[in-house]
Amino acid sequence: MHKVFAIIRREFVERVRQRWFWIMALLGPVFFGAVFLLPTLLMTKSSLKHIAIVDSSRNGLGAAVAFQLDTTKIRAVLVAPGPRVADSLLQAVGAKTLDGFLLIGDALADSGKAEYRASNVSAFTTIGELQNSLQRVATQVRLTREGVDPAAIARARIQVDLATTKISGGRTTGESAAQSFSLAYFMGIILYMAILLYGINVMSSVLEEKTTRIVEVLVSSVKPFQLMLGKVIGVGAVSLFQFLIWGVAGRWVFRYRHALGADSPGADAGLFTMPHVTADTAIVFLCYFVGGFMLYSAMFAAVGAMSSNEQEARQAQQPVSMLLVVSFISMFGMLNDPGSTFSVTLSMIPFTSPIAMPVRWAAGNLPVSEVLISLAILAVSIVGVTWVAARIYRVGILMTGKRPNPKELLRWIRTA
Amino acid sequence: MASAVVQLDKITKRFAGHVAVDALSLQVPSGSIYGLLGPNGAGKSTSIRMLMHIHVPDEGTVRLFGEDGKTGRDQSARIGYLPEERGLYPKMRVIDVLVFLAEMKGVERRKARTLALQWLERLGLSDWRMRKVNELSKGMQQKVQVISTLLHDPDLLVLDEPFSGLDPVNAQVLKDTVLDLRKRGKTILLSTHIMEQAEQLCDGVCIIARGKKLVDGPLAEVKRTHGGHHVHVTFDGAPGDAERIFADPKLVKKQESTGQYAELELAAGADAQDILKGLVTSGARLAKFELAEPSLNKIFVDLVGPEAATAAARPEVARA
Repeated sequence: MHKVFAIIRREFVERVRQRWFWIMALLGPVFFGAVFLLPTLLMTKSSLKHIAIVDSSRNGLGAAVAFQLDTTKIRAVLVAPGPRVADSLLQAVGAKTLDGFLLIGDALADSGKAEYRASNVSAFTTIGELQNSLQRVATQVRLTREGVDPAAIARARIQVDLATTKISGGRTTGESAAQSFSLAYFMGIILYMAILLYGINVMSSVLEEKTTRIVEVLVSSVKPFQLMLGKVIGVGAVSLFQFLIWGVAGRWVFRYRHALGADSPGADAGLFTMPHVTADTAIVFLCYFVGGFMLYSAMFAAVGAMSSNEQEARQAQQPVSMLLVVSFISMFGMLNDPGSTFSVTLSMIPFTSPIAMPVRWAAGNLPVSEVLISLAILAVSIVGVTWVAARIYRVGILMTGKRPNPKELLRWIRTA
Repeated sequence: MASAVVQLDKITKRFAGHVAVDALSLQVPSGSIYGLLGPNGAGKSTSIRMLMHIHVPDEGTVRLFGEDGKTGRDQSARIGYLPEERGLYPKMRVIDVLVFLAEMKGVERRKARTLALQWLERLGLSDWRMRKVNELSKGMQQKVQVISTLLHDPDLLVLDEPFSGLDPVNAQVLKDTVLDLRKRGKTILLSTHIMEQAEQLCDGVCIIARGKKLVDGPLAEVKRTHGGHHVHVTFDGAPGDAERIFADPKLVKKQESTGQYAELELAAGADAQDILKGLVTSGARLAKFELAEPSLNKIFVDLVGPEAATAAARPEVARA
């Protein structure tokens, strides 16, 4: 036991001493934040667009549209229709002095038809704003035709703000749907990254001992299983230490967020407020992280043992990483409907449950019994997978030469 | 034999279709230096790994320190092992590697540290203790590895090709260390394919080829029984009746003579003393009459055969 502890300490101390550990500790949150916020930021923070409106209508629809667009990020100039107008506008778009131009006529109010020509017609925020503005003008005109007073319409108009609140265990939680979503998303990303990163850490540690041949000295004094166990626990402890640093840093940032200017105006309040992490959620997260890490690092250790250099290991680890990638990708489907058969199945299969179950937990109201069943399946699988991995490990670490094929691998497992 | 520190009894190891070690038995007496000799690929390292319980023998038993039912791993605190292929953690500090490896041998952490510092001092590596292993030269790394083998003061040292890759200076340091260890009552088992080294160091030897034992025993006995008898004669002037005596097939099997000097291989059952008597009575004046032992190298080549001296092609050990 003393020896296993020495192995754990070596793995822990050597890793925490490395520069990359502290770089990860500091930059990790920044990186996760970026992964999390960047897509939204890129979508919302677009610059002003300049377009021309070619208005061939009889009652000045163009001016009304331009007026509506004033509240958006689109600035429009009115152009009278003419035989050569389209050509000169085309040139302007080509020379990038104009982003695009809108062709409207009486058809806008009569049949709801208009045309937008631009260099970029996939910028859906721009298209959305155009569509909204045109919609409003067309509706206004048609209502006026029906004899409704535009002023009355303006008075009658009301913006509905749908507040969403998550119900958990029969109680409301004060957590909005957006917060639940971002929490689930965030946990999914962290679990995926951490299990993959630290699993691969275990693999390269095994590989290092194998390629330097130091493993021969080690297994002459400790059992291969003790060596593998010490390694997995040691690297796991490093990852938990990393989470601790992030957790403390996160608390600190949260407390001083005003001083840090984190709530600058313009940030979408719903998506960006820090979700409230309850103790239950933290426990579920940690249980599945530890379980997932044990399961995957055992597999990664076996992969390291059966390879004889970095390159081979990189190839051999692909099937294992694939399992993780599958769980990660299906997270997006699960967020849509955490209660679907698909989601439930994934949260029970041990190879996907470490990511799937915490995501479902954060996204929606889950019975504790379901979590317990899934954890039990995971625990049994860890024992089974570790048993197989340890046998591959035991034979593999002393082998040199070519990588075993599946048939040979089976023999290792049977005879080890 | 109660005093045998290592007793291998018919150990056999097979790797996918070829027998690496075939029913090898040997005994290493306590307090001696014992050489496991053989050409490359003869099964030396595999035997040593079975001794260390890194490989488990398919058949046969390994008995260490006369203890039944305890493997090399169980008794690793009493064994120092230097594997053929050296390696340390390249990114760890020298002192940390030494402490860790000593902990693996069951030495308490603080004590390991003290011992490591003493050893580094002794081998002139004190200034390097906080450096990373990969900042050290090859020779220094070898020294660190040797320290890691000796740090826990083992009773039995198992050194697999200890001199390979050492420069002459470090080879001498290691040789002195090994001799010093024997003086202190330690038992040393080393493998080598360089016979000159074995001849200088070993009290007992075991020569193996293709996994099979060819001969073993105390070095002198091996030389006596397997070398044939050789006599070197140097004349001081008159050779007397030498020519006739040397030509007697009952006495001499083979001779090489240059007039003043002759090398003789005795016939089976012949006694060198009869030749000496014959020479003296016939009036020959002798400067030197020497019962020469053949070199271990000659015995080795005779036994193994030139074709096996080059490694028998063996499939790389990729399967169990």
